[in-house]
Amino acid sequence: MADGPFNHSDDQPMVKDKDSAFFNVETDADHALPLHSGDSLDRHTRRNLRKEEIEIARQFHSGRMWPYVVAAWGCFAVWLSFFPLAIMGWLNLPLAFVLSCIFATGGYVTSHEAMHSNIAREGTKYRWVNEWVGKVSTIPIVFPFSMARLMHLEHHYHCNDPVKDPDYTDEASNMFAAWYKTWYNRQPGVDGSIHHYKRILAGMGTPAAEKALKDTMKLQLIFMTVLFAMAWSGYAIEAALIWWLPRHIGLSYIRFYLSWAPHHPREGKTNRYETTRIFKSRLGHVMSMCMETHLIHHLYPGIPNHRTKEAYFALKPILEKRGVDTSAL
Amino acid sequence: MEAAVKKLFHWMPFLFGIGFIAPLIAQTMVALHVEPPFGLSPILFGLLIGIPWGFQTVIRGRWL
Repeated sequence: MADGPFNHSDDQPMVKDKDSAFFNVETDADHALPLHSGDSLDRHTRRNLRKEEIEIARQFHSGRMWPYVVAAWGCFAVWLSFFPLAIMGWLNLPLAFVLSCIFATGGYVTSHEAMHSNIAREGTKYRWVNEWVGKVSTIPIVFPFSMARLMHLEHHYHCNDPVKDPDYTDEASNMFAAWYKTWYNRQPGVDGSIHHYKRILAGMGTPAAEKALKDTMKLQLIFMTVLFAMAWSGYAIEAALIWWLPRHIGLSYIRFYLSWAPHHPREGKTNRYETTRIFKSRLGHVMSMCMETHLIHHLYPGIPNHRTKEAYFALKPILEKRGVDTSAL
Repeated sequence: MEAAVKKLFHWMPFLFGIGFIAPLIAQTMVALHVEPPFGLSPILFGLLIGIPWGFQTVIRGRWL
């Protein structure tokens, strides 16, 4: 389980491979026009800065990924055990509720590493581990890995594009509106969140998109069947506290911290160094799921989530020269 | 098949009102020792809330 070979090239455009894995090898030339504050830099300077940036970023691409595997599979197993334990009356429900909220929210982080193949690249011995980390991690939030990966990679390719970025619907004018929108976008008649994703997938029309739509339908039907069966068998409160409510809390938390907070304000911010902002979270780096330095992830998705802060401080002088506002951290 | 599933998901809030909200209300009332009004049983009271709530959600597209 390790990162794939890092591409030093500064002369190739951003490409998708056949499995939509992400290669972050775009050139300065490709992004020279909309460089925002860094526009004042000449092409030669930009190119040298980019080489320096890649050289530093390269040091953070490797890292221990097994904790993500242990966390994903361990938490999923514990969460699954809550169901029979609740039915047998052997479960401390308030504690299970708190843990389920943590699993539902944190599951996105482990799944996110798998979306970028950071646990094991395609064609490597432990690729199946990568896939199964992704698959089990987002079951508590009823969000199939196939859909999550496709939509997340689309978000990277078209970050902050009002039409093409699947997460653009999370944009809101302030944090209170953003929290409200995390709930509002899940309403059945609103074209936000997973409803928006379904529409985008239907429009894509690829076999992968069709599979993602089918997986979504299956997982949602399983979710409803479990809730209805438990509720009518006398375990409605247990079902609500183990799955239904943690899913809603987790989705809102994820939408706020992983989508709104690092990308606000989205309008017009589409170039490489301005799609994501550096911010100071009131809840701290860990509780914000390392999103304070999410810019590093958008620049180098191969850097594991837990190393983005370290990478940010190493890259900070270069980011400042690129016009990134680093005053928050 | 696809049309049937789409139909099913269209009516899902209504089914959710019956399948989950109603028993959740009933069991919560029992757990909190709250008596339903007019001598209704807890599950009937739950259904009286869950069915119209789910139905209005299908029509309006919003739970609230």
